[in-house]
Amino acid sequence: MSQPVIKARGLRKTYAKGVVALDGADFNVGAGRIVGLMGPNGAGKTTALKAILGLTPFEGELSVLGRDPRIARDQLINDVCFIADVAVLPKWLRVRNALDYVAGVHPRFDRAKAEDVLARTEVRRGSRIGELSKGMITQLHLALIMAIDARLLVLDEPTLGLDLLYRRTFYEALLNDYFDHETTILVTTHQVEEVEHLLTDVLLINHGRIVLDSAVDQLPNRFVQLVTTPANLPAARALQPVHEREVFGRHVLVYDGRDTADLEALGELRTPSIADLFVACMQAPNTAAQTGVRQ
Amino acid sequence: MNAQAFKTLVTRELWEHRSLVWAPVVTAALLVIGTLLSAQGTGSMQINLDGNDSSFFATLSTDPNVNSQLFGIWTSSLIVPQAFVGLLVIFFYLLDCLYAERKDRSILFWKSLPVSDESTVLSKGLTALIVVPVWVWLLSLVSGLLVFGIVAVKVSGTPLAPLGDFHAAVWLTSQLVLLQNLFLAALWFAPVVGYLLVASAFAPRSPLVWTILPPVLLVTAETIVFNTSHIAGFISHRLRGFFDHLGGLMTRDGEQLSMPDVVAQIDAVYRGLSAAGILGELDLWLGLPAAAALFWGAARLRRWRDAV
Repeated sequence: MSQPVIKARGLRKTYAKGVVALDGADFNVGAGRIVGLMGPNGAGKTTALKAILGLTPFEGELSVLGRDPRIARDQLINDVCFIADVAVLPKWLRVRNALDYVAGVHPRFDRAKAEDVLARTEVRRGSRIGELSKGMITQLHLALIMAIDARLLVLDEPTLGLDLLYRRTFYEALLNDYFDHETTILVTTHQVEEVEHLLTDVLLINHGRIVLDSAVDQLPNRFVQLVTTPANLPAARALQPVHEREVFGRHVLVYDGRDTADLEALGELRTPSIADLFVACMQAPNTAAQTGVRQ
Repeated sequence: MNAQAFKTLVTRELWEHRSLVWAPVVTAALLVIGTLLSAQGTGSMQINLDGNDSSFFATLSTDPNVNSQLFGIWTSSLIVPQAFVGLLVIFFYLLDCLYAERKDRSILFWKSLPVSDESTVLSKGLTALIVVPVWVWLLSLVSGLLVFGIVAVKVSGTPLAPLGDFHAAVWLTSQLVLLQNLFLAALWFAPVVGYLLVASAFAPRSPLVWTILPPVLLVTAETIVFNTSHIAGFISHRLRGFFDHLGGLMTRDGEQLSMPDVVAQIDAVYRGLSAAGILGELDLWLGLPAAAALFWGAARLRRWRDAV
């Protein structure tokens, strides 16, 4: 991995009422990766993004494209794009004027490209944003963002509240028309299944800490899922699973860094999906989180 | 931030706050339409005025100097209702401009683009201090000519006919004096605009309350604790100080002028159209660093302020 695009060490953020949103998070995001920052509601995802985007003060070390977002936000934002949430485009703005505005203030905005993307949608130039459906607003927002030549794209729950069709096309457009292996994409979501297939890296966050930081292609080498019977359970437990659950009388155990040779005799082995790991990491506060899982 | 980008920022303000553009247009149109409709009442107005003070109109017709200066006074005073409406929409614009974006969360969109908080705040401040006032001035210039044209037609052939004479040099001078006054007012009111921007950027909700409450509390506290009114005096000076420099028709050293005095002093009143005297006030210059500090403060607040 070359010089990371984002490097965070001991990221801490406590809100006014004593709520700890980030509790010493450490992570790197490499150049040209598509990284999913995932966690349950309130895990600290949005706060981490806000810190990266220079939208909130925080403690600890953070470097984004080599800059500290607390002091160099204005320079940083030339190279960073973000969709902070759905429906942040102001209702009174006309589609045409949204294009005018971004073209007017962003030196690296390619208007023709945005027009081109919009031409493939139902979004009309003369409409006010307030008149568009949520799906169309997201299409417009994505068209604006995709026409900006940025080095880092940050997406915070970009498809929240959209129907399946729009969600699917959103990620397809992102992957096919935008991603060029140079731009880094950081996306947060709590709908893991949605992004699973497009990520190159996963960052799982819970209670303000990173509980899993791994390249997706490394996951099968590290994690294995064992489906076993109650008879084999004591032996399986002895091998220290990071997570265990029961499905229809069978036990599903997840292991981190365990040789498959030890497990083969105990039952059926599978590679856990990111969603399986998500559940494993979130429900195992004193296993995955504190032992070995963190790189 | 280059000039093109800054122009985009100001244009954005006018897209969002369309009343800044249209309220002055409507006022100007009403003024012209009102003049047009009142044309039917010419006869009675003429008799009334004649009956009140015939010497005034005698002077008007015989003294070309008084006539041209009176022309300058009445044509430029047509800006008053338009300026009043302008002030009103600017006030509510300033309350809203750094609050609404937090309320509808669009601040997250604006902040996703390479526009610094300083440029944003400056664009809003200059929209209020320069862009809208100059727009009001332009509209008043056009509507003033229309009103004059209607009046000229209406008074022709009556004893008031001299009111229909167009004095080009006086007209041009008085319009330029008005424009100059707008820039002087921008300098004088810059700290007030800065304060409103800070209140708008700070207000957790209801920016109007957050604007009015702090000075009211301070004034009240001062009255109760010290039984003095320095803060009230300070605020009232900042709000009224500019207008004190305009030698109006109504007041001169606090006394109301009667019509014959106006004729006698019309020259002084005409010269009083300019607020240039305010450049001699130390408070004008002291206000500028204060305004800069308040603009900066509003930008800092916007930097870390969350959506409401």
